Amino acid sequence: MKTFLQFALFMLIAFVVILMAITLGEVGAWYFAWLIGTTMIVLIAAAGGMLLDAQDEQAARKAAAAARHD
Amino acid sequence: MELYATLQSIWWLLLGVLLMGLGTMVGMDMGVGAILRYVGRTDMERRVALNIIGPHWDGNQVWFILGGGAAFAAFPLIYATAFSGFYVVMLLLLWSMIIRPLGFEYRSKMPSPRWRNAWDWALFVSGFVPMLVFGAAFGNLFQGVPFHFEWNLTSFYTGSFLALLNPFAILCGLLSVVMAAYMGATTMMSGAEEPIYGRARNVARATAIAAVVLFAIGGFWVHGMQGYTLTGGPAPGVPQTPLQGSVSVAAGAWFANFHAHPALWLVPVLGFAGLLLGFLAASANRSHLAWWLGAVAWIGVIGTAGVALFPFLLPSSSHPAQSLTVWNASSSKLTLGWMLGFALVFVPLILWYTSWAFYVMRGKVKADHVAADEHAY
Amino acid sequence: MHDPSVVDLSRLQFALTALYHYLFVPLTLGMSFMLAAMETVYVVSGKAIYKQIAQFWSKLFLINFALGVATGLTMEFEFGTNWSFYSSFMGDIFGTPLAIEGLMAFFLESTFVGLMAFGWDRLKRGQHLAVTFLVALGSNLSALWILIANSFMQNPEGAHFNPVTLRMELTSLPDLIFNHDAQAKFVHTSIAGYVTAAIFVAGVSAWYLLKNRHVELARRSFRMAALFGVLATAGVITLGDALGFIGGQAQPTKLAAMEGLWKTEQAPMPFNAIAFPSQKDHVNYGVIQVPYALSLLVTHSLDGTVPAIDELERTAAERIRNGIPAVSALQVLSAKPGDADALAQFQAHEKDLGYGFLVQRYAPDVTKATEADIAAASRDTIPQVAPVFWSFRAMVVLGLCMLAFFVLALIYTMRNNVERQRWLLKIAVCMIPVPFIANETGWLVAELGRQPWTVYGVLPTWMSASTHSLGYMIFSLIGFVSLYTVFIVIEMYLMVRTIRRGPDDEHAPSPSIEPQAARLAGQAEG
Repeated sequence: MKTFLQFALFMLIAFVVILMAITLGEVGAWYFAWLIGTTMIVLIAAAGGMLLDAQDEQAARKAAAAARHD
Repeated sequence: MELYATLQSIWWLLLGVLLMGLGTMVGMDMGVGAILRYVGRTDMERRVALNIIGPHWDGNQVWFILGGGAAFAAFPLIYATAFSGFYVVMLLLLWSMIIRPLGFEYRSKMPSPRWRNAWDWALFVSGFVPMLVFGAAFGNLFQGVPFHFEWNLTSFYTGSFLALLNPFAILCGLLSVVMAAYMGATTMMSGAEEPIYGRARNVARATAIAAVVLFAIGGFWVHGMQGYTLTGGPAPGVPQTPLQGSVSVAAGAWFANFHAHPALWLVPVLGFAGLLLGFLAASANRSHLAWWLGAVAWIGVIGTAGVALFPFLLPSSSHPAQSLTVWNASSSKLTLGWMLGFALVFVPLILWYTSWAFYVMRGKVKADHVAADEHAY
Repeated sequence: MHDPSVVDLSRLQFALTALYHYLFVPLTLGMSFMLAAMETVYVVSGKAIYKQIAQFWSKLFLINFALGVATGLTMEFEFGTNWSFYSSFMGDIFGTPLAIEGLMAFFLESTFVGLMAFGWDRLKRGQHLAVTFLVALGSNLSALWILIANSFMQNPEGAHFNPVTLRMELTSLPDLIFNHDAQAKFVHTSIAGYVTAAIFVAGVSAWYLLKNRHVELARRSFRMAALFGVLATAGVITLGDALGFIGGQAQPTKLAAMEGLWKTEQAPMPFNAIAFPSQKDHVNYGVIQVPYALSLLVTHSLDGTVPAIDELERTAAERIRNGIPAVSALQVLSAKPGDADALAQFQAHEKDLGYGFLVQRYAPDVTKATEADIAAASRDTIPQVAPVFWSFRAMVVLGLCMLAFFVLALIYTMRNNVERQRWLLKIAVCMIPVPFIANETGWLVAELGRQPWTVYGVLPTWMSASTHSLGYMIFSLIGFVSLYTVFIVIEMYLMVRTIRRGPDDEHAPSPSIEPQAARLAGQAEG
């Protein structure tokens, strides 16, 4: 259920963002938007990968701490 | 000279430069393909040979694509008439060329000897056939091609497919093939060790001599051939169509430009000199020098054809008055101007980063390295 | 005269070779930037696993790239071989972006792709990363110039007809480059490539996770693909709307076909969600409508309308009548350049020259065109409605499916437990063909919807083809079909084989965090 709500929320956000972009105008400076957008997509994807490593390390630390506790 | 005529002449020159670049750079890769089965006897020898040009063939191939693109943009009537008129030959060229990227990329992906042997043949075909067609196309320019235009410039080609493969065209095709093989052989001399080196050296020496002979025969042949002369019609630099031209045909007319400007004899001399000195350089094991002399030879040989034909680009044998020239087949002043601007910016850049790529990958390719590198061909 | 079946076969051959080429291009466009993102992490974090990731995906990238380059050569030839009248008539404009593409983009991409594959040991990390970025930039710039050329065919701006040289000529390169259709189309197409690559990477990674192989590589790739994909998909949908809006204004017949609008309606117009259009009866069967929606979608207001097919055919007939004197004047000008009367007549009717050409198909001497000829030519101005209508809907639905998938994938991968969601992983594998289908249907909407023109309103398709014999066309079609069939079999085989073998595990660095791998292995067993 939690996942479903999250899914619905994210889909809603996506649609609102798309709608906003649409109402901002059809004739935008799209070439410029491409440059910015591509840079952003590449950097966010890269950051996502690094975040995964950070999450792993955190999980490992937690597991190690729990093991010491026992 | 008027600005438009100047731009047209510059683009005629630039198209020539692109074709020379094509001969040198694409010729080198296709030459490697054409002699691959001779210089490489074992699978590893062939892999070494392929990996010498492996990092560069893709970039080199763009000379070909740019040649086509520049013809399209600067001389659209040439691109349209020649590509559609030479339909079957163009398809043979295309089909043999499109198996080449796959040959490089896919050949060593499978261990099976049958698979690799099949791709080696594919690489041979895709080296030999395109260079043959490339040269044969020049041969047909000298003899004229049967085509004409309707009132709205719809073109009609009235010849047969086999007529394009006539003896003179095949002679020019062979000249192109041996010069490509020469470029490929000198490249392999630079990038490989024995036993590939020695075989490549043999090829370079033999092809240099063969090219000299073929080039000389071609010269005598053209001397007796019917040539075309522009006798009227709108002046250079005036917007016009091929429907308004006036052309005479006479034996020996292809030498008119040389007779009018004797300094132009230096161009064919450059071709002969490049090949003969290239032979000596290859014999003396100066492989880099031999490669550069091959490039000089391409400049001389293609330059000779260009000078002889000027201002014709594609003469019509059935309707000589409708022959395509630098003046009646080019793009508008504005297009030629913009294109020149882009060429002035980007051609130096291309030369700069291409040289850098060759510099990064310099040196001999070794078998143990090829075996260890999972990205190697 | 042109043999109609030669024109049809030329169209078929072009469509097949372009659609085939377009199977490989989007993956190149997107994968190159994904490789850049992966390598960025390697350079920034220094973790060896990311080098392995970048190298593994670049192997698949190169298999795909080879076929993209090979089939791209065909496209470069085909304008000249099969569309020679188009090439000479439009070459002054159309050739320019193609040549600039070679100079600016293709050289860049092709020179550096060699260094990308062979330069791992010869370049410093930062240098190699720069090379990868240049490959990505080059391949997308390549798409930019091709789409600028294509957009001229959709919305001819920056050109005029020159009655002296009997062809279209460039009037402004900036107008050509900054054509609104080109801007929206480039961004839409380029990031559709990002979506394709993201689905591909996510799907292959999901397969590894399902098989419990190369887990460290697959988890990271999946995470990056999900982020890459969700942003790109939102962008594709936004730009798709912009493109529909711009294209609808430039090409009302395409818009009418996309929406199946036969009869003009009052605002607010309903949207045909499902319909079975009949070209013969000019009517839709089995319609399911959403009230008000079409006005909102295509005009972004409730009181907007767009012209329907009945009205468009009437306008076309008028323009054809007006174009006939332009064609006959041009015929005079061809024989007598500078003839003052003919020039005046031509200039008075110049804007409908293309419509005059349309009726020439039925009346070679346009001055003798009958009412029946004009009616037939005006019917021709409407593209085949059903395929455009359905391709459009397929593309949109698939786009929305991909958005939903990426949102789900993102939720689970951010919680860092995607490897336990086997149902999601199975969906991810099944999604692999979806973007490819969406790309192809997008091409169909754009190019089928443009018919009967090669350049909208200027040059009809029937005139554009080369004057070949039927035999030549059959020969070349058979050649292409057999060659391309062999290619795709080999390509798919090598792709699947490379995926099955996976990254080279012998050289693989050990995962950066051992306990995590142990935890995962435990999960898979449990």
